[in-house]
This record gives sequence, structure tokens and C-alpha cells, in this order.
Amino acid sequence: MEAKKIQNYIDGEWVDSKTQDYLEIRDPAWGELLAIAPMATPREVNDAVKAAQNAYPSWRNTPPVARARYLHRLIALLEDNFDELSMVQTKEHGKTIDESRGETRRGIEMVEVATGIPSLMQGTNIEDVAMGMDEYLINQPMGVFCCIAPFNFPFMVPLWFIPFAIACGNTFVLKPSPRTPMSQVELFKLMDEVGLPPGVVNLVHGGSEVANGLIEHPLIQGVTFVGSTPVARQIYRKCGVEGKRVIAQAGAKNFIVVMPDAEIEQTLVSLITSFFGNSGQRCLSGANLLIVGDDNFYRDFVDKFVDMAVNIRVGDGLDETVQMGPLQNADSKKRVIGFIEKGISEGAKLVLDGRKLNLVGGVPETCFLNPSVFENVTPDMTLAKEEIFGPVASILRTRDLNECITLISASPFGNAASIFTNNGKWSRQFQHEVVAGNVGVNVGVVAPMAFFPFGGRKDSFFGILHGQGREVIRFFTEPKIVITRWF
Amino acid sequence: MKLNTMAAVMSFVTKLENDAALFYQGWAAKFEELEDIFSAWSKENKTFEKRVKQTYFGVITDAIESTFSFGRLDTTDYEFDSDLPEGANLQDVKKMAMEIEATLTNFYFEAAQQSEGLMADLPRLFKHIANKREDRLTKLSL
Repeated sequence: MEAKKIQNYIDGEWVDSKTQDYLEIRDPAWGELLAIAPMATPREVNDAVKAAQNAYPSWRNTPPVARARYLHRLIALLEDNFDELSMVQTKEHGKTIDESRGETRRGIEMVEVATGIPSLMQGTNIEDVAMGMDEYLINQPMGVFCCIAPFNFPFMVPLWFIPFAIACGNTFVLKPSPRTPMSQVELFKLMDEVGLPPGVVNLVHGGSEVANGLIEHPLIQGVTFVGSTPVARQIYRKCGVEGKRVIAQAGAKNFIVVMPDAEIEQTLVSLITSFFGNSGQRCLSGANLLIVGDDNFYRDFVDKFVDMAVNIRVGDGLDETVQMGPLQNADSKKRVIGFIEKGISEGAKLVLDGRKLNLVGGVPETCFLNPSVFENVTPDMTLAKEEIFGPVASILRTRDLNECITLISASPFGNAASIFTNNGKWSRQFQHEVVAGNVGVNVGVVAPMAFFPFGGRKDSFFGILHGQGREVIRFFTEPKIVITRWF
Repeated sequence: MKLNTMAAVMSFVTKLENDAALFYQGWAAKFEELEDIFSAWSKENKTFEKRVKQTYFGVITDAIESTFSFGRLDTTDYEFDSDLPEGANLQDVKKMAMEIEATLTNFYFEAAQQSEGLMADLPRLFKHIANKREDRLTKLSL
């Protein structure tokens, strides 16, 4: 049977790409061919941007409250299709169905917040800046924006940007990850059903050539990106050269501190989710586990953590008893294995070897790893420094909270950091001093809600304004100052 | 079977509530004394299932540890046999109903306890349903 060809969505129409270059999209659990996705041509990229530019004048003149009504209709459709949207995420990415449902919910929350645009976009004013003169600020949309999306949250991440951008009156071009494009196809089917005017949202598939085509296109006003640090840095530089605004959310190496007074049982469940949820393929995953406490506390805690990790059921994410799915593709698995081997060669102690597979449901081994846990990791080791993006926990023993904060400060990354404790003073010191954009207190995955910005510092973020919340409204608008005097 | 994810708990809730609803629907038609109450409970079972699903879909986020929240729930502890012979009398039916409600009460209390530290809305709903079932037990024992 011929694989289903994914289409681009340009100017309100589903269109076949003219390219000869297609990428196979396979279910990472079973290896089944799900579809083939085009690597769009430069002309198609241009068509999409042009369509967005043509749609912009009338869309920006559509009242914000009317723009919000399109989003209200989209929410209703998203709710109606909640489970189908979640299934597609699991099929193309491999995450568990619970994780996909969580992702769907988070995506919908973004649209919900964006419907508040008539309030969120309001400006400010003051009378009598001078005798008989008034001054006010209005927030205006800018034109065409684009998003270059990652593979790990194929449904949610584009929704960090699209609903806010179009609610502000901009138009949009999305390039999903070539590894996981199907979730966005489903979303765009619903946006088509909502009846958005042609060209307001456009979808072009492809890899780095399409991304560069968008970034360099003179009609693109700003770029949003989520992905690795090297690429984020490159995009940030390029946007600087092009004079475009940019949100580039990048890689991470997140630290989790466990103090000796932590609530053990609840902490363990949170840590297991943090380190092994989404198979470790998220920028908010725990990576380095810093344990403070005496020998007994340390041993007891680590043994329990390893015991829970051993018992995680790994298999097809659509099996409801499965708690961890595969890596998204075989290359990702190979990359993670490389880190495990490096950890061993640098002297860390592998106490749980995820390369020894224990899978449920008879799935092929191609993309799977079980959880791995290293002890005796030191800050200079590759395991402690580099982003692994897989189900590997590195445990570092630390003397006290000050040492933990010093270690976290020394990391080039600054996406998330968490502390588990019952002590208010430690907690307060941690949140005050730690250099990370998202800080958790007894929370393992510090995912900001849609109405707060998604933090990120140091090499985990390039830009000024962050995604989500009021900051992204500011990103997608330009303030205009008006001063009036009437004679 | 161990229920270790919220997705699995949701599917099991659907099975439990549907099985119990079928039991009430079937016997409501056979005993006039039970018709009103069993018909109402059959409908309410569907509502319970719907509310669990709505709450689950409504509150689940990737920050919520739904994949690892349940460790000690086992379906074998909460399975019930709702088959009664055609000629069963009123007392037999009431006795079976009490067994079903006691089983479901235990299930919801245990599910609430296991998910308590992690998900606010679901344990609250699980407790609410367990309390409702305790009310049913009281009615059945009268």
C-alpha cells in the first residue's frame, strides 16, 4: 500500500508539494510507515509567506473580539477531537497516551488564554502630558511571523505561538519538525474547519532549508523556535543580522536537588516523571539529581529511586499499562547509548543499565531503551554537563544546598531547577539564588502555565521576550505612541 | 492486572460503571420496588464515568504525574460478578447490589488515596463518587 502523502497548507488550501524529496514518518514503537512528508521547495515557502502577507491587511483590521471568536470555535473542535489528536501524537512520537493527553490539554490551554486578546492587547494612556495634550500607547500587530517547531512536543509547542500571534492580528507560517509533522496536520485540519480567512495560517513541511528560507524571507517579521542550543544560537544570530525579533528556546540540563527533609514517597514519584517522562525527551526533564544528606539517607533514597526506575513498564505508548515509550527514532537511541558509554568510560557507576531491554507487548527493540541511572557522577563528566535528551539520570552527591546552587550556577544551561524539601528557608534561598528560568519547589517538571511566560536563561534561551503569557503578546505586537493636541 | 497509569484507571472506571449500570438496568425491570432507584443509579453510573473522563481530560497536563500516580491498584481486587439466576429474589438482588457498591466504594477510596499527592481534581472526584456509593449502601441496607 502506498504511504499517505502529507500536504502543505497554503492560502487556505491543502496542496501537494512539487518536491521529489520526501521523508518517511514511522511509528517509533512498531516501525510502521505512517506517512511521507515533503521537504517543501523554496517556491512553496515563498508562496506560504506571500499568502500570509496578503491575508494580513484584512486580518489585522478584523476586530480583536472577532479574531477571538475564531479561537473559541477552535477550542470547541479541539475538545471534540481530544482523544484523536492525542493518539496521533503517540503514534508519531512514541510518548504514552497519558503524556499525549497532557500535551493536548496544554495546547488547548494556550488557545484559551489567547481568546483573552481584547484585554491582553490593550494599551495605556494618560491625559494632560502637557497642558491640553494627551498621550497613549496602542499595541499593533506587525505582519507575518513563523515558527520552527521541535519533534518532542509536536502538538503543543506550535500552540505556544500560533494562537497568540493570530489573536494579535498577525498571520503565520508554521514549519513542524520533519520527524513529527502529523500532529500539526491534524491541528490545521481543525483550523481549516474553523474557517479562518485563507492565508492567516499556513503550514509548510521540511528541514533546515525550509527553516532558513523562512528566517531569511524579507516579509517575515519575527521567528519563534524551540530546539537545541547550537541551532537556537544560530537562529538568534541570523535574526540579529536580518533585524528580526526572535524567541529561541534552547537546550537544557536541569538539576533537581533533594534535601534530607524531603517527603520521600511524593518526591520519588515526581522524580520518576521528571527524569523518565516523555522518555527524557523534553527540555524540562530532570537530568542531574543532587542529593544532600548523610550516608543512610543517600543510600536509602537512591535504592528506592532505582527500584522505581527498574519497574517502569516500557513499550508501545498506546498500551495503557505502559509508562514510558520509545525514543522518537533509532538515531536518538544511538545518541543516548553514546552518552551511556561515555559515562562508563569517564568513571561513573552505571547502577541501572537501560540498554538491557525489558519491554512489554512484543515491540521491536529498534527505538527503545529502559531507564538508566548513574551514581558517582562528578560535575566535570560529560554526563553531568551535556544534554542527553533521553531516559538517563545522573546522581551527584553534594554536601549542602550552597554546593548545589554553585553547581547549578556553573552550568551553561538555565532552563529549570527544582528543590524537594519541607524547609522554607532552603526553598527561599534556592528560588532566590538559582540561575534558571523555571524553578520548582517540590515540583519535578516546572512547565509554566499558558498565562505565564516560559522561562529560560543562559544557553537555554536566546532573545528578550519569552513564549506564552503577556510576554508573547508583547513579542507579537509593536507599541505605537500617539500624542494628541486639539486646537 | 495492575493499574499504573491514569489512562488505565480511566478504562477500568468505564468497565466498572458500565457493568454496574447493566446490572441495575436489567433488574430494575424485574422488581417494581427497585425500578425507580435502580434506573436512577444506572443513569448515575454513566454520569460518574463521564465526570471522571471530563476531569481526567480537563486537568491532565504534562506536569501532572498521571503516568506514575498509581502503583498499588489491581483490577483483581475490584472485579465483581453481576450474574444472578433468572429466578433470583429481591433479597438476592439487593445483596448483589450491596457487594457491587462496596467493591466500587473501596475502589474509589483507594484511587483517591493513591492519587492524592499529585492530582487535586481527580482525588476529590473519586472521593465524591465513593461517598455517593456509601449513600447507596445505606439505602440498600434499609
